[in-house]
Amino acid sequence: MTLAEHIRGESARLAALCTACGGCVRACPMTPYAAGVAEAGAEAVAAGMRDVLRDGPGTPAALAWIGACTRSGICTPACPEGLPAAFMLRLAQWRAKGALGEAPRIPVKEDAQLSARVKAFARLTLTEEEQARWL
Amino acid sequence: MAVIQDRAVFWYGCNMTRHGELVRATAAMLEAVGIEAAPAGGPAHCCGSPKDASARIAEGMARRTVQAFNASGREAVVTWCPSCHMNMQDSMAPVTPTNFETLHVTEALWARRDRLAPLLVRPVTARVLLHAHHGFQGRVPVNDLVPGLLRLVPGLAVLDHPYRAPGHMCSALAGVPGALEDAQRATLDAAAATGADTLVTIFHSCHREAVTLERPGLPVRNWIHLLAESMGIPAEDEYKAWRNAADPRATIGEARIEAAGDVAFARLVEPELRKPPVL
Repeated sequence: MTLAEHIRGESARLAALCTACGGCVRACPMTPYAAGVAEAGAEAVAAGMRDVLRDGPGTPAALAWIGACTRSGICTPACPEGLPAAFMLRLAQWRAKGALGEAPRIPVKEDAQLSARVKAFARLTLTEEEQARWL
Repeated sequence: MAVIQDRAVFWYGCNMTRHGELVRATAAMLEAVGIEAAPAGGPAHCCGSPKDASARIAEGMARRTVQAFNASGREAVVTWCPSCHMNMQDSMAPVTPTNFETLHVTEALWARRDRLAPLLVRPVTARVLLHAHHGFQGRVPVNDLVPGLLRLVPGLAVLDHPYRAPGHMCSALAGVPGALEDAQRATLDAAAATGADTLVTIFHSCHREAVTLERPGLPVRNWIHLLAESMGIPAEDEYKAWRNAADPRATIGEARIEAAGDVAFARLVEPELRKPPVL
């Protein structure tokens, strides 16, 4: 199985079980940082997230919420259906970032220098032997 | 909780290379409690999350990491980074089958606390507040395990406060305008409310952000620094000294910078060390 197949399969499976009740949105501590969520309402935002999992475009508020997810995880115990809501947000974030080949719908913040930076710090904090064995 | 094996990989992640002393001290602690843990991290052992926008690239990075761990023949992978840990469970192992169990370092040390406690011989006199997040607690109860481990240290008082920052690490908050600033203010308020004299971080990315909150009467330390001090394991927090220095280049020293590569330092390291604090 590929990661893309895993993302597609889990998205479809979990979207089919989601009732878009909005419990996950109401539990989320990041909604103050997601434009339009309060105005749209929890149910509509959850439905928009579910739409992204179903290959749909989502809504601006749902995409803002997906983009603001920092993996707090308290949406999962808040789900009355017992679904892994935090993982659903992770799936939605992958999809909204364009992981499956579509154009990104939320900002993608990639550090193009990450690997070089990690190694630059390693040269300062690890011995040459540690770098050879641990990197 | 997983059965703890005696031979493991200590998967410290990517950005922990800022804190070599934490990698070194944690590996020494695991060994001291009977877990021979080979550190592995950096770009060659990536979970793939830096390439979230491409499933194909992320999968390739993650697959290479899982295959390396499988080939190591070690029965367990002890994680440090909550992102790596969750990615192993959510997207790495389901795609590339593993022949090891995955557990977090807090679980490993807690499971061996009967061996750890006698090694914590030096008192560390401090009243500490843990900088805790909501995230990851549902996977691994780090907000309970770390205080539990710290309470084994003689002289250390762990204070309680209900505040939990959103997200799973501060690096995630840093990407959302206003979120890290709010979390840092709330953390300082919680420290003041409890009368803490030390702020303690759990994860590396929180430590990286929180060291700038250090002020007279409120040093910022990682939980491993405290355990290491009690065990007598050297673990000087150089990153904190560099980040809070008026001139990090002078603090590090030109000879060391030259040895590490002056161009890379100037381009990749120095801007971070000179970045204005969030608060």
